[in-house]
Amino acid sequence: MHELSLVQGLFSQVKELAFQHQARKVIRIVVKIGPFSGVVMDSFTFAFEVLKEDEELLRHAHLEIIRPGARLCCNLCEREVDAEKEDLDFKGDMLPGQLFSKEKRCPHCGKGSLYPSGGDEILLMQIEME
Amino acid sequence: MCDTCGCQTTKPSHQDSKLLEINKSLLAANDSVARKNRKHFGEMGARAINLISSPGAGKTTLLEKTAELLSGEFTFAVIEGDIETERDAQRIRAKGIPAVQITTGGACHLDATLVHKGIHLLEKELGKGSPRLIFIENVGNLVCPAAFDLGEHKRVVMVSVPEGSDKPAKYPRAFMGSDLFVITKMDLLPYFDFSIDEAIRCARAINPGISVLTLSAKTGEGMEGWMDFLKSESMNQDEDEDEDVA
Repeated sequence: MHELSLVQGLFSQVKELAFQHQARKVIRIVVKIGPFSGVVMDSFTFAFEVLKEDEELLRHAHLEIIRPGARLCCNLCEREVDAEKEDLDFKGDMLPGQLFSKEKRCPHCGKGSLYPSGGDEILLMQIEME
Repeated sequence: MCDTCGCQTTKPSHQDSKLLEINKSLLAANDSVARKNRKHFGEMGARAINLISSPGAGKTTLLEKTAELLSGEFTFAVIEGDIETERDAQRIRAKGIPAVQITTGGACHLDATLVHKGIHLLEKELGKGSPRLIFIENVGNLVCPAAFDLGEHKRVVMVSVPEGSDKPAKYPRAFMGSDLFVITKMDLLPYFDFSIDEAIRCARAINPGISVLTLSAKTGEGMEGWMDFLKSESMNQDEDEDEDVA
């Protein structure tokens, strides 16, 4: 449910930037949401679509979400692992809890267990306005 | 219709549009207030501890028990966060501990701005003296509070035995950012299929550095570990974790 707060935070940043650049309307907003950010994409999109109707400036804004893949790190050899490339049964839309419900061994050293490396980012990347 | 994004503009594309590269957190405004809160706590000579759990895991009961066990090692105060009512603050005050209540009026988490208000309320309540530890008891919720830095120095996540040992796997974000994982209501262990090993294994798969304590505020079992943690936190006053703040 905090997705609503996140979108409110997003819109106040966007409005400030639009004001600084004397834009009349915002066309596109690109955000990056990490796999371990705890953000539910459907709720985020829903909040975006509902809240943008309240703002003339944002009414025509199109939301684009970049979702980087999960990166894991080995607790023993400390090497990074791309969860999708290494085929650790990881799918792009998998919740982190599913990823960690089974213990994963490091594909490099075969001994260490894997834990998330970053991936909790929730970033405003780009705004297109006119 | 526009060729670029499919919007309903009458022009073929957004030729006169401007593209800004930003790369800034959506939580930037919250995080900036959180840094100020951390500094404010530091100036009060206090360390702040953010308590996160589902509703009913025993956050307030643990604080009540902490008050009962105090024998002058440190002092503490509490900023209570709830959706409605003053009940938790009243429970803490009844133990002789200064407490203020913030009600979110519906929001599922505390944010740094609400805590900033809480700090000012607390300062009024305290007068001149200042405690060594300030607890921020978050709204009962294992999901949303995890994303919001409140300006705390330490984050504690709690799960009670009746909730089940799969909680760290199901709510990983709360465990990723926490320093200590407390398993509460240990007196109920004989009546539930709670596996301490599974809970710890899942929590450490997400956050290998997380410390773990098991306790029962009702029977007092394991409380000495909790009191030791607090004692060492209360002595940890000088560490400046926000050196990058101007």
